[in-house]
Amino acid sequence: MDTQRNCKQTRRDFVRTCTVGALATGLAGRPVAGAGIVKEYRRGGMYYRRLGRTDLWLSLLSFGSHTCPADKLRLADDKTALTEAGQRRRDRLIERALDLGVNLLDVYDNDSQWEPVARLIREKRNRVVVSLAHLQTPAAIDRACRLFGHIDLYRFSIKDVDDRVLQSWDILRRAKGAGKIRAIGIAAHIERSFPAVLEELDGLDFMMFPYNFIHARADYSQFLPEAARREVGLIAMKPLAAGSVVSLDSVVDPRTSPEQEVLGLYGSRGHRPIVPAAVAELTRALNRTPGESLCMAAMRFAYSQPFLSSVVTGMFDDRYLTENYEALTKHRALQVEQSAVLEAARRLTLLSGASWLPEQYRWLEDEWRA
Amino acid sequence: MARMRLLILACAAAALGTSTAAAGATLGAQDQTDKGIEEAGVCSRCHVISVVEWAYSGHRKAETRCVSCHGESKGHVIDERNNVKPERFPRGDAVVNLCATCHDSGCPETNRREACSTCHHYHALVDVRKPVAIRDERLEQLTLRWQRYDERMREGERLVAGRAWGAARAAFRAALDSKPGDPMAAARLKMCTRRLNPGLAGFEVVGKDPDEPTGLPKRVRVQGLGAEMVLVPGGEIDIGSEQFPESTPIHTVHLAPFYVATREMTQAEWQSIMGANPSYHQGSDYRKSAQMPVESVSWEDIAVFLSKLNSLVAGSGFRLPSEVEWELAAVQGGEGGEVFNLEAPRPCGQGTPNKLGLFDLQGNVREWCSSSAVSYPYDQTDGRESSGGVALRILRGGAFMEPEGWYGPALRHSDRPGRRLPWNGFRLARSVPDDVADQAGKGQ
Repeated sequence: MDTQRNCKQTRRDFVRTCTVGALATGLAGRPVAGAGIVKEYRRGGMYYRRLGRTDLWLSLLSFGSHTCPADKLRLADDKTALTEAGQRRRDRLIERALDLGVNLLDVYDNDSQWEPVARLIREKRNRVVVSLAHLQTPAAIDRACRLFGHIDLYRFSIKDVDDRVLQSWDILRRAKGAGKIRAIGIAAHIERSFPAVLEELDGLDFMMFPYNFIHARADYSQFLPEAARREVGLIAMKPLAAGSVVSLDSVVDPRTSPEQEVLGLYGSRGHRPIVPAAVAELTRALNRTPGESLCMAAMRFAYSQPFLSSVVTGMFDDRYLTENYEALTKHRALQVEQSAVLEAARRLTLLSGASWLPEQYRWLEDEWRA
Repeated sequence: MARMRLLILACAAAALGTSTAAAGATLGAQDQTDKGIEEAGVCSRCHVISVVEWAYSGHRKAETRCVSCHGESKGHVIDERNNVKPERFPRGDAVVNLCATCHDSGCPETNRREACSTCHHYHALVDVRKPVAIRDERLEQLTLRWQRYDERMREGERLVAGRAWGAARAAFRAALDSKPGDPMAAARLKMCTRRLNPGLAGFEVVGKDPDEPTGLPKRVRVQGLGAEMVLVPGGEIDIGSEQFPESTPIHTVHLAPFYVATREMTQAEWQSIMGANPSYHQGSDYRKSAQMPVESVSWEDIAVFLSKLNSLVAGSGFRLPSEVEWELAAVQGGEGGEVFNLEAPRPCGQGTPNKLGLFDLQGNVREWCSSSAVSYPYDQTDGRESSGGVALRILRGGAFMEPEGWYGPALRHSDRPGRRLPWNGFRLARSVPDDVADQAGKGQ
C-alpha cells in the first residue's frame, strides 16, 4: 500500500517538478504580447482564419505536401511519382479532407503532384486555396497558372536571405503584380533567418515555419509582434515534428499506428529509448480523453496559437486526417496543466538533441536550432 | 519502480534546470543511501542522458554503477576540456566481455554470449527496437467511466421512449455524473425536467405536444398581450451567403432554443402597451388597420416598448431577435406566402405561414433585429448585441414595396437606431424563460 502511494507521489512529484519549472519559465507558445490574434470563424467542424492582410481565409487544418514514402515510384527522368494505388489513396484523402472543410492544399512539385491535384480540384477551384512551391521562375509560375487557373499562395524555401533569395523574391513580387499569384511567402526552417525575412522581403504576405510543442519557442517576443505589425500571415509546418511525436506517445499501439510503419520510427539505430520513455511518463499527466493520442494534443497545441493562420501537416492515411480533424473539433484550447506537461516534454526532448527524431528527420532539429 | 521513476525524473528535472534544488531535496529524502546516485551525479554534469538511461535500467538496482563499466576515471572527471578519456570505454567485443564479467552464463533469456547490444541499449538495457509501452491507469479508469456514461444514456433513452420522465431524469443525471459537463446528458436531463414541469412564466401553453428534443412547448401565448409565439429549436446554422457582399463569409453559429412571435407586432398590440400608434399606414383608409404591422418605429422606440412589456409580463425576457436568430427562423421555416410589390403592408397573420408557423417573416415590413451592423463573422461576444452605442442596427426581411428579387434570407440591411421609416417594423422574441432563470441562478 505504501509502495503504491509512494509510486503515485513519485509520479506527481516528477510531473510537478518538471512542470513547475515549465510554468515558471514561460510556456512554449504562450501568447506573446503583441503577437496578434488572427480573426477566425467556424463553418461546420472547421475553423477558418484570415491570412495576414490578404483576403484569404484558410482552414486551420491544411493538407500538406508530404506524400507517403512507401508509395514513391522513381521515373526514368530522375523524377518521382506515386504508384497508381498510392495516387488513388492520396486523391481520396484529399477529397475527404475537402469534405471536412479543409480548404488549403499545399503542393510543392514533389512526386509530380501538381497535375493530379489540379485535375482533382478543377470542378471546385474557387473553394480551394492552393499553395504551391517549386522553382521561382516565370516559366514555373506560368505552368502553375495553366494548371490551376490562378495561384493562391506561392512560396519558396530559404536558409538565409542572400542575393539569390532577393532575386527570386523579385520574381514572385512581379508575378503577384501581374495578377498571377494572390499571396507570396517564404518557408524558413532556420530560426535566425526570421528577422531578415521580415525585414528584407518587401510585400511578404505569409511565412511558413516549423512549429510544434517541441520546437515552439517561448521567446518569440520580437518575431511574433513584428510579424503582426507587418500583417504577415503565419502558417505552422511540422506540427507533429515530421510525425515523430508519435514515438513519444505512451498510449499509442504501434500495431495500429501507420506512422510507425511509414516513417520507420523507433527503428533507427542509436535511438535514445529513455527520452520517449521519460516523455511517455510525463505525458500520462495530459488528462487525455479516451481515443486522444499525443499527436492530437500536439495538434491542439498548434491550433490553440492565436497568431497562426493555419497548421499544415502531411497526411497519408485516413487515421491521420481523422485525428487531426478530431483534435480540432473536440477540444481546441489546451488547459494550462496540459501546456505545462507539453513544455516539460519539450525540455526533455531537448536534452537529447536530435536523437529522439528518426535519422531521416534529424535535420529538422539541426536546422531549427542553427 | 517508484524509486526508479523518481530518479529518472529527478535527474531529468535537475538536468532541465527547472528546479535542481527541489530535485535534490527529493533525492535526499528518499534515496539517501543510494551511493550510485551520488556517483552518477558527478557524471550527469555532462552525460545527463546517459545517466538517466542508466537510472532507468536494472543496472541501477543491481548496483552496477558508472565506475563498474568505465572505471574510476578520476582524470576524466576533473578534465572539463575532455582531453583525458575515461579509463574504460568499451566498444564491440569489449562490450560483450564486459557484460560477461557479471553475466558469465550469457543472456538470462537467450543464453547467448555475443552481440549483447543487438537487443540491449548500452545504458538503458531496453530493446531499442521495441516501442515503449506504459499503462495509463487514469485513462483506463476514464474509459470505464465513459462506458458507464454510454450505458446510462442508453438507459435514459429507453425510459424516454416509455415516457418515464422521472426515471429517465435519474439515468441522465447518472450519465452526467460519469461525464461531468457533457452537453448531451445535460440537455436530456433538462428535457426530462421540463416534461415533469411544463409551465413557463409569462406564457400560456397552446397545444399539448411539446418539442421532443427540448421538452419545451412548441406554441405559447404571451400573457396579457395575446400574441402567439412558436419555439425555434435552435442548433447549428450556417449563416451568410456568397450572393451578398455584406453576408460573407458563410459560417456556422450555434444557437439555443428561443421563442419568436408568429406575426409581426400589430398596431393594436403596440398601442395597448404604448398608448399611441406611430404607424404611417393607419386609419380608415386601410382594411383591418389595427391588425396591420406597426411601422415607422425606430430601434430606440422598440427598446422603450420592450422595457414596458417586460415590466408587465411575468418572467420578462422579451426582446428583439438577433440577426442570427432571425436567419435561423427563416432558414428552418423556409418561405411562406410572402407578397411583394404592394403599395401598403397587409394585416398581420394573413396568407400562408412558413413551416415554423411564422407569417410574413420574409416580407410585409422589414424587421429590426437586436444586432449592430458589425461585419461577419458573427460573434455574439464582441459587443454587437449590446444595447448601447449609436451603431447601425440590422434589419432583416423584405418590405412590401420592394421587388421580390431584391431580397434573400441572408441579406443584411441596416439603419440608424433612431430612424423611423414606414416599412420598418419588428417581431417579438424571447429566450426560453427557464434558461434565463438558470443563468440568473448561476450568476448568484
